[in-house]
Amino acid sequence: MSELFPRKQVMGFVFSLVLTAIALSVYFLDMSFTTGMIILLVTAFIQAGLQLVVFMHAGESKDKGVIYTNVYYALIIALVTIFGTLLILLWDM
Amino acid sequence: MKIDNSLPLEYSTDQNQLNILGFWIFLGAEIMLFGTLFASYFTLVDRTGAGPAGAEIFEITPVLIETLLLLTSSFTIGLAVHAMRLANKKATMAFIGITLLLGLAFLGVEIYEFVHYVHIGAGLQTSAFTAILLTTLGTHGAHVTFGLFWGTFILLQIKKRGLTPETGNKSFIFSLYWHFLDVVWIFIFSFVYLKGMM
Repeated sequence: MSELFPRKQVMGFVFSLVLTAIALSVYFLDMSFTTGMIILLVTAFIQAGLQLVVFMHAGESKDKGVIYTNVYYALIIALVTIFGTLLILLWDM
Repeated sequence: MKIDNSLPLEYSTDQNQLNILGFWIFLGAEIMLFGTLFASYFTLVDRTGAGPAGAEIFEITPVLIETLLLLTSSFTIGLAVHAMRLANKKATMAFIGITLLLGLAFLGVEIYEFVHYVHIGAGLQTSAFTAILLTTLGTHGAHVTFGLFWGTFILLQIKKRGLTPETGNKSFIFSLYWHFLDVVWIFIFSFVYLKGMM
């Protein structure tokens, strides 16, 4: 039975619950907008990286170079879209 | 078809490896899709018109339940892939089944949430904010709904055909999709709900 619950994945799950609890602190504790956003950005991106490496086995096959390049490319396009939009439409630059 | 037994089932043929790589490229396109939705959300979040703002309609309890359900389902689909690699058909099916039930529960809470929003006057046409909110949440929810059907069919195939290079490959690709939906939810949880309630 215990062989069905590998240590790496159980630890990954526990860690993702801890990250969720830390992110929740921005709701339950009183803090400035900047501090809150920093906490959310850090916990969300660690959480995403955790899923990618521990659960999605992104680095296990011989295609890992192509897979990571593709994910980074997609992330860059998504972030440029988001921050480019914010720069032009909200921050008036 | 050449089967390489030194590799896990889902990678064991050339076709399988290409299927997995192809699905990662699809997930890249999905990242960009949700990127555009988040860009629109951040642009329109303060355009509430005569409607309510996020802080007035968001409730922490259903959001927290949804988050825990989806995080746990992401864990159980990971265990399903692990059981598949151990060639344990029964455990693989059980973990996929648990994943689908958790996904169904998530969808139930989300539908409750949508009905609640419309009920309190925050429908799709209320304001630019409610429109982009429901579009972003709805796109994620539609992906989960699609995943529930997909997972059910894979479960039926494993039951009928056992764990073969084909069904193993399909299960693994489904697990990639499901983990991806969890990642998207983490960003919705952080930057739609928690940021809105901060």
